[in-house]
Amino acid sequence: MPALRSLAALCLFAAAFALAASGSARAAEAPLTVFAAASLKESLDEAAAAYASATGQAVRVSYAASSALARQIGQGAPADVFVSADLDWMDLLQDKGLVDAGTRTGLLGNRLVLIAPAASGAKPLALRKGQDLRPLLGRRGRIALGMVDSVPAGKYAKAAFESLGMWSALEPRVAGVENVRAALMLVARGEAPLGVVYASDAKAEPRVRVLATFPAGSHPEIVYPAARVAASRHPQAAAFVDWLQQPVARAIFARHGFILR
Amino acid sequence: MLDFSPAELEAVALSLKVALVAALASLPAGIAVAWLLARRHFPGKALLDALVHLPLVLPPVVVGYALLVLFGGQGPVGAFLDESFGITLAFRWTGAALASAIMGFPLMVRAIRLSIESVDRRLEQAAATLGAGPWRVFATVTLPLAWPGIVAGAVLAFAKALGEFGATITFVSNIPGETQTISSAIYGLMQVPGGETGIWRLALVAVVISLMALLASEWLVRRQHGRHGDGDEA
Repeated sequence: MPALRSLAALCLFAAAFALAASGSARAAEAPLTVFAAASLKESLDEAAAAYASATGQAVRVSYAASSALARQIGQGAPADVFVSADLDWMDLLQDKGLVDAGTRTGLLGNRLVLIAPAASGAKPLALRKGQDLRPLLGRRGRIALGMVDSVPAGKYAKAAFESLGMWSALEPRVAGVENVRAALMLVARGEAPLGVVYASDAKAEPRVRVLATFPAGSHPEIVYPAARVAASRHPQAAAFVDWLQQPVARAIFARHGFILR
Repeated sequence: MLDFSPAELEAVALSLKVALVAALASLPAGIAVAWLLARRHFPGKALLDALVHLPLVLPPVVVGYALLVLFGGQGPVGAFLDESFGITLAFRWTGAALASAIMGFPLMVRAIRLSIESVDRRLEQAAATLGAGPWRVFATVTLPLAWPGIVAGAVLAFAKALGEFGATITFVSNIPGETQTISSAIYGLMQVPGGETGIWRLALVAVVISLMALLASEWLVRRQHGRHGDGDEA
């Protein structure tokens, strides 16, 4: 039957193409796969491009909440380097032997800020213990946070509000989103009157205004650990983690609002 | 293992509410659009067909983002609904229902359209020549004969709504008790160390609900066949 033969030919062609494509990927220098916290988007993109032009090694970065990325690495995702937004998720992987402890470093720090849409006219305020932010939310507004059980930015936000005695009032008004950049987007669009993100995120988004910076003591220190994934066989993985600690990369991160450690 | 936490029970109840509302509320529109595509020719018919299928081919997050832009508090439709009728969709279960309904709409329309197309037009024409107006033809001839497809369409929309995640979390985020459906709850649990047993519990519930929906749809179809004396019940 001519139709069956054409179908068979198409399948053979597709299979041959797939084989050839995968073969050629192995022949060239495979790109370095980095899993990184969502808040590193602009800065790490720039750093990765700088690394690629300096060494000729292509780097591709996958951004998501550190919680999701850690889970994926735990299930064997083919990452070479992991940069997390908090220590818990890196510790979890290290306890399971999934990251190379010898390459682990506390790369960056950050501050936590309360933001509002720039168009809302909300004014900067001083965060005091027991302060009620609900008037700023209006009747139905919600405060956009990363999901407070899992997303690092959400965990830090909850810890900060708890230490300031503001959590019990705000908890029913929370809109939990899957990563800190989603919270940033909701506030930038004016859908949420308030949100909590990192200082570096607020710097990247002109449509939000910083109302307050949370006192450094109100939440666990924000540390971005980086490490080589233990299962990675890429020869450049450890070198990339090392390069992120060098002056060129540090200058890029500083420019984007991160604290250097 | 089967001891559900209050949050998990809340997610199950919310999922049922959202999926039922999504499927039932979109059914009239689904039947209308399916009938239009099945029985009528008009300029722009291909465009309507393509628009209906758009949620099927777009990434769910894109659909969710489009909903946020249109129906969010700052969006044109959302602001209008809020000012004129006091209806809010952003960050509420109503928004989750809208997102699920839109994601399931193409499946519903496809099923119902196929069913309507299989109704013998001569029966409709015969009813018309006997004096029945177009509404009566539709209600007494087309609808009962297309019933299996309508039930199938509604069940498909319900099942899709139950499993919807990407559009929902982008549009209405993850709020326990308001927008945290089974899918969102499972997603949250996946990211908490040691959440596995909760995931399996919720997944089991989702499977059971889907099975019950399929059995209910079978029963509804057989009941209709039995009432109209249709002999072949395969």
